[in-house]
Amino acid sequence: MSGPGAAGNGPLIHRRYVLGLLLRLCVNFAGGVGILFVILYFALSRSLPADYEGVFHALRNLSPFLRPILAVSILVYALLACGSTSALCVYILHKVAGPLYRMERILDQYRSGAHTRTVSFRHDDQIHPLAQTFNLWIGTLHRDRHRWLATMMNAERHCLQDEATCRAEMEEALRKVAEDMARYR
Amino acid sequence: MRNPVLHPSRPRIRYVSPRFQGPAVLAFAAIIATGGAIFWKLVDSAFQRIFPHAAIRGHYAFDSAYDIVRDLLAWHLAGLFVGVFLAGSILVLLLIAAARHGIGKAVASLRASADGDLSTPTGMGSIGEFDRFGKKIDAARSYTLASVLKIRSDAAALAAGGISPEEFRLRWDELKHRIRRIAP
Repeated sequence: MSGPGAAGNGPLIHRRYVLGLLLRLCVNFAGGVGILFVILYFALSRSLPADYEGVFHALRNLSPFLRPILAVSILVYALLACGSTSALCVYILHKVAGPLYRMERILDQYRSGAHTRTVSFRHDDQIHPLAQTFNLWIGTLHRDRHRWLATMMNAERHCLQDEATCRAEMEEALRKVAEDMARYR
Repeated sequence: MRNPVLHPSRPRIRYVSPRFQGPAVLAFAAIIATGGAIFWKLVDSAFQRIFPHAAIRGHYAFDSAYDIVRDLLAWHLAGLFVGVFLAGSILVLLLIAAARHGIGKAVASLRASADGDLSTPTGMGSIGEFDRFGKKIDAARSYTLASVLKIRSDAAALAAGGISPEEFRLRWDELKHRIRRIAP
């Protein structure tokens, strides 16, 4: 269905988009944990000394030695994961945030009295029903405006006749327009 | 040689809006930082306990420190991944639910506007950006309603009669001009 009655009935945010976002987050976090594992593996996998005493002292001193390595590796993980998640958020969420931002600008333009055109989002954007219902509203206003103007212009045609008929027709047209506008509340 | 025809520059649409995407990015960063801090606390305290214990145990059947903490590290890394991913997923689902709720209200409000209801508030919710967006929609609807009501009252006053033909014509033309300004 694509008629005006069906405008805005589609899903606001598709399930596929949500699943895609979750999948990308999963891969992203797995990558971060993988990098953390690699850093810790290289820090911990150095061979211990061959003799008994050497192993004993190495193990005794290992935990204070590992503390800064652990802190740095977690810092690296946090920075990488935050960076990649931020990029992912900006890339994925702009399919919702972009149309909202665009609609905000269109609403500002509308209020400033600028020419109002129909809105269409990119095909892979979400929240398409928002644009469809906005277009439905603007379309209704356009139709009503044309009808009111047509009523008034139709009355003006009677001005080719005598003055009294012209005035009576114009007053009747105004009454019709006022009555028609009463549906707006 | 190319024809130097000047095309009007199209306004560039920015699709990155810190107001919309910034809070989500900060929330994800907080989850990652919290996960990292918990992981550091748990693994560090485990290392402080395990290595001295392994040193005094005496049976050194391992080649590296990694062999001692392999299982512990695997479990903690798995815990970090699951914890951060679950918290991130919950955040995603909350964001999507908030967006669906808020934008659903906006869609319902615009649909009601098409039916002539320009006064019922949109009520997009109390989340900062959605609330602001709802107020913008309400402002556009109020602006339209104010224009229509003004034209309607003027049309009714003009139709009531008792105005000289010259003034009637003047106000008639003004009314037409104002009707043309509705959703131009």
